[in-house]
Amino acid sequence: MPVKGLKTITSARNGVGAFILQCKRLDFHYCNFGGSSRGMLNFLTKDLAAFAREHPQIEIRVSPRPAKHPVIKGHYINGLEKAICVRNLEPSEIMKKTMILKEASGEKLKRTKKPVTSLNESVRGIWSPYHGDLRSV
Amino acid sequence: MFSRSILRGFASELRFAAPSSISAAPLPQRACLHQTAWLRTTQQQSQSQPHSPNPETPLGATPRAQDTQPETQQGSKAPSTPTSTFNTITPQTRADVPIQKQPVAPTFDSPLEVTKSVMSNLPHLAGQSPHYVVAELHSRPYLLTAGDHVRLPFLMPKVKPGDILRFNRASAVGSRDFTLKGAPHVDERLFECRVRVTGTEAEPLRIKEKTKRRQRHTKTAKSKHRYTIMRVMDVRVKTPEELLEEGAVVVEDAEDTPKIEARS
Repeated sequence: MPVKGLKTITSARNGVGAFILQCKRLDFHYCNFGGSSRGMLNFLTKDLAAFAREHPQIEIRVSPRPAKHPVIKGHYINGLEKAICVRNLEPSEIMKKTMILKEASGEKLKRTKKPVTSLNESVRGIWSPYHGDLRSV
Repeated sequence: MFSRSILRGFASELRFAAPSSISAAPLPQRACLHQTAWLRTTQQQSQSQPHSPNPETPLGATPRAQDTQPETQQGSKAPSTPTSTFNTITPQTRADVPIQKQPVAPTFDSPLEVTKSVMSNLPHLAGQSPHYVVAELHSRPYLLTAGDHVRLPFLMPKVKPGDILRFNRASAVGSRDFTLKGAPHVDERLFECRVRVTGTEAEPLRIKEKTKRRQRHTKTAKSKHRYTIMRVMDVRVKTPEELLEEGAVVVEDAEDTPKIEARS
């Protein structure tokens, strides 16, 4: 007999009741020697402290990555991660990239055409030809 | 009809003249929450409140903001020249938001007029949940129910994740058997539809190859649009009792008034 997993009864819908920012961790990698990390080093020394204070819900890690371009990695609640290379960028541009990672949902980028996705059943139900009034043409 | 942006300046002046019970000036207790450990220890003698970085109850729910009289800054109208910590703190409650940036409640120059037929049918509509609303944003309709995920086809400016918006323009509000159809819009005082901004998303990079005839050169045009994503918190139709409490006026039916249609 195969093992049966427990069925999920409800699915999480972040934001309906409580809202949790999807980004849980940001890793900042830099190189002490490389010239492409100059903006990143400026950003780390000047702007990162204020950013971290503003966002107490995000864990922030800073670690060296010698002889490589600087990278920001975002880790999300759904288990995925996103990385943005910030070589040769100014601190203000790095801040913009950080905000992109912060506001992202962590989902894979998809091209969708419909603006609304709903888990709910149709409010008005499915149309039936056998019910309702008869209408003369 | 005034636009809200004009009213915003006027309303902010009014607020300065008559400050509400919840002042927008930063409370000393709140400031302590985000300050350094050194400050915390120095202020612990004067403060009896526990300073945990993540309090169990939301700060708006604790009674201290209402009970204690906050020390407003003398002379300055608003925290325009606060210390460096106030600039960087994310507001948690209405009390943290500067007065100029608080949302202005809409002002109406006439009370809500509800026709008799709508008033008689409204209990049926309000009592039958779930509800849907055809909300309009930039004249595009979005059919929303509570809990839906919305990805707007554009990046909404000046919103942050966690912000709550209220959609106030709808062409129809309905339930399973009843629909209130606007002519062309339903009055915003008849329903509530709140959405919460959950972040921004992007589409995959689109690469379009541009070619000209008889030329070997190909130009690639790249685009990657960003979109605001949001979640519908609730869709609710107000009951007649609520409307009458808020000062609605019952009028006779006319040709161009909204109607509630029952499903045949």
